[in-house]
Amino acid sequence: MRALKLLSAAALGIAISAPTFAAGYPEKPVTVVVPFPAGGASDTTARVTTQKMQESLGQPIVVENKPGANGSLGAGQVAKAKADGYTLIVGSIGVYAINPVLYKSLPYDPTKDFDLLTVAVRTPNVLVANPNFPANNVKEFVEHLKKNPEKVTFASSGAGSSDHLTAALFWQKTGTTGVHVPYKGGAPAITDLIGGHADVSFQNLGAVSNHIKAGKLKLLAVTAEKRNPAFPDAPTMKEAGVEGVEVYSWQAVAAPKGLPADVKSKLEQSLAGALNSPDVKGKFNDIGFEVVANTSGQFSEFLNQEISRWKTVVETGKITADQ
Amino acid sequence: MMSHVLQKKDFWAGVLYIAFGVAAFWIGRDYPMGMAGRMGAGYFPTILSVTLMLIGLLSAARAFAQEGEAVGAIAWKPLALVVGSTALFGLLLSTAGLVVALIALVLVSAAASQHFRFEPKAAAGLILLVVFCTLVFVKALGVPMPLVGSWFGE
Amino acid sequence: METLSNLWLGLETALTFWNLAYCMVGVLLGTAIGVLPGLGPTATIAMLLPVTFGLPPVSALIMLAGIYYGAQYGGSTTAILVNLPGESSSVVTALDGYQMARQGKAGKALATAAIGSFFAGTVATVLLAVFAPPLADLALQFGPAEYFSLMVLGLVASVVLAHGSLLHAFGMIILGLMLGLIGTDVNSGTTRYTFGFPEIADGINFVVVAMGVFGLGEIIGNLANETTRTVMAKTVKGLMPTREDLKQMAAPVLRGTVLGSMLGILPGGGAMLASFAAYTLEKKVSRHPERFGKGAIEGVAGPESANNAGAQTSFIPMLTLGIPSNPVMALMIGAMIMQGIQPGPSVMTEQPVLFWGLIVSMWIGNLFLLVLNLPLIGLWVRMISVPYHFLYPAILVFCAIGVFSLNNATFDVYLMAMFGFLGYIFRKLDCEPAPMLLGFILGPMMEEHLRRAMLISKGDATVFMSRPISATMLVLALILLASVLAPTVRRKREEAFQEEA
Repeated sequence: MRALKLLSAAALGIAISAPTFAAGYPEKPVTVVVPFPAGGASDTTARVTTQKMQESLGQPIVVENKPGANGSLGAGQVAKAKADGYTLIVGSIGVYAINPVLYKSLPYDPTKDFDLLTVAVRTPNVLVANPNFPANNVKEFVEHLKKNPEKVTFASSGAGSSDHLTAALFWQKTGTTGVHVPYKGGAPAITDLIGGHADVSFQNLGAVSNHIKAGKLKLLAVTAEKRNPAFPDAPTMKEAGVEGVEVYSWQAVAAPKGLPADVKSKLEQSLAGALNSPDVKGKFNDIGFEVVANTSGQFSEFLNQEISRWKTVVETGKITADQ
Repeated sequence: MMSHVLQKKDFWAGVLYIAFGVAAFWIGRDYPMGMAGRMGAGYFPTILSVTLMLIGLLSAARAFAQEGEAVGAIAWKPLALVVGSTALFGLLLSTAGLVVALIALVLVSAAASQHFRFEPKAAAGLILLVVFCTLVFVKALGVPMPLVGSWFGE
Repeated sequence: METLSNLWLGLETALTFWNLAYCMVGVLLGTAIGVLPGLGPTATIAMLLPVTFGLPPVSALIMLAGIYYGAQYGGSTTAILVNLPGESSSVVTALDGYQMARQGKAGKALATAAIGSFFAGTVATVLLAVFAPPLADLALQFGPAEYFSLMVLGLVASVVLAHGSLLHAFGMIILGLMLGLIGTDVNSGTTRYTFGFPEIADGINFVVVAMGVFGLGEIIGNLANETTRTVMAKTVKGLMPTREDLKQMAAPVLRGTVLGSMLGILPGGGAMLASFAAYTLEKKVSRHPERFGKGAIEGVAGPESANNAGAQTSFIPMLTLGIPSNPVMALMIGAMIMQGIQPGPSVMTEQPVLFWGLIVSMWIGNLFLLVLNLPLIGLWVRMISVPYHFLYPAILVFCAIGVFSLNNATFDVYLMAMFGFLGYIFRKLDCEPAPMLLGFILGPMMEEHLRRAMLISKGDATVFMSRPISATMLVLALILLASVLAPTVRRKREEAFQEEA
């Protein structure tokens, strides 16, 4: 029993130890709150990035998962935390841009309660279909939708998720309709898509690329500005004739509003250094993420654009996710 | 006969079901019902709460019709101390820290047993438990619990 | 022949010194976190993920898999010893395992679980090696309609879990279904019954309910009867199963293995049902169903085998299709991607060393578990012979910390206290918590699949009967329901006759 304890302690100890050499901030371990369960995209982003940041900050960084209410539980707690640089948040497009337009009562306001630091990574969405689905490209797909209104099933990873809203945006831009079928997360949606129980879906590229390569899913278009090097034959939405459906899922880092200037600049440097380091970039590329690493000014401008765009989609589509 | 009904397990179980059913029905009355093809958020809850109320009525009715066991005395002391000490742990964890919270949880819950005496052996066990939890949960597994809480400064 | 050469390749991979070591570490870690109530493999694997980046892919996956099935095993130990089911699958093990422990047969119960698990693990490994791809394709046949019917079958089966009044079994199932409604409705995004607490917007965690009604409820109940009886039998009756016991558990282990292997393949919550289904089956085929819930060895052997077989075969959709059937599998996929391996049908052909190495390592890991746990049984049994007034505060401590660690939130600790209160009340009223817990697990899935099936079929309810797999399961559910109700009806009629006579 004792040997067991020692072994487990030793094995886990590796994860926590880190070198220490720094003056001033940070003087103690930094906590990064991930408002989602372990293993998701935000969690992976946080763990990969902070592992590298520990080297330049010289203090251990502890990733704390605070899941609940589409990320608004953890985000609300960070918004109320002390702005001393010892509490940060890594959240998704949902936390920063979608929750604010979808929910009337939110325990935080991303534009007012946070010091936005950087958008860490992004990944384009792709329009995928079951291989037996009749349409083989976006043009045929739009025609099919127009001929069969309210018939084609669109699987999504949840009501109010970024892929749900992407579908809504697509309907609005093409003047089509469909049946939205929400799932509990992306994985079961993809499973039903492969099994042919649902017809099409907008999914993160990283989550479906292997199924596309294996021929289990049919790739119709990429919702990016440029074609993806992994799938050079797949057109962008714009090339396929649909304007205004450029959608990325992104992960960003922020802190409670009012960081001291020196702490903020130190964090920004450390973040930029970590995100741009070749090994971190490589790891993100492997999972289909593209490193963005922009400045806090660019992040803030981008966030305002995203919020106003999704606000329009939600209002036009009369999408509600709470009472 | 009537005086017995109020002591029967079936009667009180029925009351419990009805209470839960009514509460769920009342709280859920505003959830949209939808239709069978496109069920709303209120469809399932309504069916379930009505079913539970019916089962509750049956159970209570059975208490009148059949012989049944009496509920018996409620063990208020262990109930209050075990539930209370657990809640106290939650309260003290963030304010006073893990060490104090653990000691409070153990001592308060232990008071529920008539065999418990605070003797050297018990004290040693308590210290061992606190050390074990600190090492395994906080140090090795990294569960974010403060050892010393905000009450004692940072 | 090809299978043999593949297995040989796997053996060569799994038997290297380092891979054996990682398998051992994984299994040990898994058992340790499984034994501690509330701590699950998901959080542990997530935390270890960054550490595994530095390892070769095969070793990383071997270790992570070891943590997973090791934790499954460790969870049953706690369920048997102190009636604390840390995972849905061990709820069933607790029913008869804990009763065996109270009768001084804890050693026997633990040994039964270990042997049953090992046998099931072996069979499931062979199954995985020979039939993985066709089985995975079968799993894809399951759409929302099939899952809904499976859940209905599961619910009807859960009535059999109760050994008392049928009416209360139904009542508790409905209550469990309603508790499962708490949180965000998947289909519309509406939050239901959350009373404005964002902490339960994603629903109440299963562990919170189980720890409350089983763990705390049991402790309060024991303390209430402290003067009249001792909690654990003073004499320990044999650590190891006798020849007689082995004979008795052989058939249940076999049936459990078959059921578990089949259900484990289904990614939409099949593995969760495995142990429940096995328990129901054992009680139905037993000539003495009245022994169940009072320490029947079949009630441990069947579900434990099913549980472990299901844990192994749930790797099938992950390895062959890249589809995760539970959060742990999702993390394993994450680990593979981080290692530069795209999970999917190509893994088997492009990474044969990884695929077969992992499969063989699972069998070796199961062997480790058996060798490790049989000698540990003596230690465990000695641990529960500690006077109860020393034992229960420690159990409370582990429950409280375990529940806190789920979401790192004290809110869950308060909730557990509340469920402890409810658990004691249920116990006083003879309302059994096991059917409630099954309702709690199945409820949200059942509603989700029902509404999704209706959405996809555009409101046509005949899908449940026109699809053959779905129809078969609904018919099975009907037969089961009839067989459950029939004895009661017959008894009623006999009573009526006797009164007339």
